[in-house]
Amino acid sequence: MDSTARLIKQVTALLAAALAMTASGIAGAVPKPESGMGLPRDVSEHGHHIDWLIEVTMVFVVILFVIMVIWMVWACFAHDEKHAAEYDHGDSKHSVKTALALSAVIFFVVDGNLFYNSTTDTFRLFWNHDALETDAKAVRIEVNAHQWAWDARYAGPDGKFNTKDDVITLNDIRVPVGAPVLLQLVSPDVIHSFYLPNLRVKQDAMPGMTNRLWFQAKETGDFDIGCAQHCGVHHYKMKGMLTVLPPDEFKNWLNEQSAIATRGYDPKDTEAHWGWEWRARN
Amino acid sequence: MELQHIHPEPTSFLRKHLFSTDHKVIAKQFLWAGLLFLAFGGGLAMLIRWQWAFPGEPVPVVGSMLFQQSGGAITPAHYNTIFTMHGLIMIFFAITPIMIGAFGNFCIPLMIGARDMAFPLLNMLSFWTFLVSQGLIIASFFVQLGSAAAGWTTYAPLSTNVGTPGAGQTLVVAAVFVTGVATIMGGINYVTTVVRLRAPGMTYMRMPATVWGLWLTAILNVLFVPVLGSAALLLLLDRSFGTQFYIAGSSAVRGGGDPILFQHLFWIFGHPEVYILILPPWGFVTDLVSFFARKPAYWYKGSVMAMTGVTVLSAVVYGHHMFVTGMNPLLGQSFMTLTLIISVPAELLFLNWLHTIWKGSIRLTAPMLFALGTVFVFGLGGLTGLFLGTISTDLYLHDTMFVVGHFHLTMAAAAFLASFAAIYFWFPKMFGRNMNQTLAKWHFWFSVIFITLVFCGQLVAGYGGHQRRLYDPYQYTFLQHMQPLNRWTSYFGFILAASQVTFVVNWFQSIFAGSKAEQNPWEIGTLEWTVPSPPVHHNFDVIPTVHRGPHEYANPEVKKALGRDWIGQSEELPKSGKAPAEPAAAAS
Repeated sequence: MDSTARLIKQVTALLAAALAMTASGIAGAVPKPESGMGLPRDVSEHGHHIDWLIEVTMVFVVILFVIMVIWMVWACFAHDEKHAAEYDHGDSKHSVKTALALSAVIFFVVDGNLFYNSTTDTFRLFWNHDALETDAKAVRIEVNAHQWAWDARYAGPDGKFNTKDDVITLNDIRVPVGAPVLLQLVSPDVIHSFYLPNLRVKQDAMPGMTNRLWFQAKETGDFDIGCAQHCGVHHYKMKGMLTVLPPDEFKNWLNEQSAIATRGYDPKDTEAHWGWEWRARN
Repeated sequence: MELQHIHPEPTSFLRKHLFSTDHKVIAKQFLWAGLLFLAFGGGLAMLIRWQWAFPGEPVPVVGSMLFQQSGGAITPAHYNTIFTMHGLIMIFFAITPIMIGAFGNFCIPLMIGARDMAFPLLNMLSFWTFLVSQGLIIASFFVQLGSAAAGWTTYAPLSTNVGTPGAGQTLVVAAVFVTGVATIMGGINYVTTVVRLRAPGMTYMRMPATVWGLWLTAILNVLFVPVLGSAALLLLLDRSFGTQFYIAGSSAVRGGGDPILFQHLFWIFGHPEVYILILPPWGFVTDLVSFFARKPAYWYKGSVMAMTGVTVLSAVVYGHHMFVTGMNPLLGQSFMTLTLIISVPAELLFLNWLHTIWKGSIRLTAPMLFALGTVFVFGLGGLTGLFLGTISTDLYLHDTMFVVGHFHLTMAAAAFLASFAAIYFWFPKMFGRNMNQTLAKWHFWFSVIFITLVFCGQLVAGYGGHQRRLYDPYQYTFLQHMQPLNRWTSYFGFILAASQVTFVVNWFQSIFAGSKAEQNPWEIGTLEWTVPSPPVHHNFDVIPTVHRGPHEYANPEVKKALGRDWIGQSEELPKSGKAPAEPAAAAS
């Protein structure tokens, strides 16, 4: 069942990707719905590190929990009130050693695995923004999260933000497939949290701070952008769409949009100049 | 002890039942106040569950009354108020008064052999201050724009006027501040009472685990509720006096403050708070599994050390709530490491409980069932915490329903079941009447099954990426397939709520018409069972002298000398030929 499910998933993913390729740029495209009870489809280059760690830990957790439940139920039946209780304070050297050894084993296996993998993954990948800052391939986007929408800004051909060739979008972030994307996130009002369930990343947009987040998509298609932090009455409607495009299509779109933006540029429209010079932190 | 005089019982109705300084009366007052707000908070939870099952559809029965302008349907603004107040009410105005206010008050003096709290007047003031805070909560629902809506965490700047204008949010922040004052008064009292008023021979390592749990909780309260108080006070200044401690971004003028400051203050308190709510249950469970397995608590000293270890560590793990705020990676790494370490003492406690019931003579009474139920749900809750204390997995699971399921299993389900374990266990002592055991067991099975299903439903939704606090989750394409799951979870929630009738009926029936309780119906050795049910005003005619720890069961020597499987903490084991001395006999 697993393999057929995966096959169906792959085929539909391919179909969706093909559909997305032809339909990209057409307004009203929608993400493909998820199904089943597991993690949502992972379309990121590095999300499988997180999925693997979640799934492996889930196995440990289920094993520990099942042992605990069997032990409790067994004890209730095998040692009910018809049996005499054993007089044991459990403080003999042997008992104490056993308890400590068992705790240590569980700790070093389960927590140790979590610690090791999380540490390597966060420092090497998820929080390694500095490596991206110097990566020429990286696509840079400024995101202004506000009640209740996501404004995005691309630098345009001049590579500089807050200039007249900037591409500005609303709830519509387009990125090329296979290239790292680096976001700088700000918020002018309350805290929001930029969340891409299908790419396993999340980062708060915090008033007064510039936060960073990066991801790399490995599939084209349309995906939900969610807000994960309660941000007021319409929090639930603060959703955007991430469109992953083939690289040349992305380039064409960006150039086209930039040309339109340059033509329509109004220096007096200060509301539209919310961008900032890219802030290389640290 | 000369410290404790016998005061005559007050005779006027007011001083006896209303403005009483008797810890037993104050305990009952807290219990009533807490149970009423538990029902209130539970009702709000049902509205949330209705909304997730049938978003935007009119709420049956109560909808037309509560949400007149929207034709009985919950609006997004209502919804925000409902989930905010559900959280705040349950944590500060239901679980805290029941667990700490009621059982802290009732158990500590009786279990350590004291005639009352160290500061009886402060104790009374603590309750009345608490009642003021509950009044503020109720008032907040009747002002323009309604009650608080910034989430129970009250994150700034959403909780400032930038995000949530109106008197309701201000009243609620004030209520949190006032209830904090009440908690600190109680905490100082509990800490002092345990340090100063233990009966002769009641060493720390002979205290019942219940007292340990309540005492450690009181210490955490005294240390960390002031931090919450300062966070609330700064927020009140921001809301009402134009300061900008927490405001940044375009709403800030003259530079502004820092929203992160609020989160630091809140979670410095907030993470210990989780343990404030779970240490008393751990204490109850450690005692109850021993009492009803008729077997000494396995490595009692280890359990005490584990609880103390958790108490210390609880102060230094709070940063795991803030992994996605843009925290320095090294700081995040430190908080993750400390968080993972806290699982060691928790594992020790579990192992000790499991070892305690192994080879016991288990009496599955209602309190025992609830205690085992607490172990069950806390096991689930604790294990799911592993995913959230780890940075990389938290990047995905943070602020999803997985978090909601996790902390409900630990804080809500475990605290809920442990509260009822305590109620069913001490009710005979408290009210002098027995509760109906059959109804209590029905209450247990319905509660444990459906509370598990509800919160596991939330875990599954969160595993699929479902964010928390969404008015209509199905706006998102990737969540649309979760409506059946959420609906089922809601049905389980409705059954859970409906089944609480078994408790309500039992409660009123037992208080007014329950059979008279014996002095020691469970055959337990701790000191509160050496006085009549209910105890006299001054608890102990003669302050008992304690000879042993609280878990002396199945001792073959005792069996030989007394012919029973238990011996009281203050009871002297008769030497050959001498009749057993009953130090508490005078109390009858």
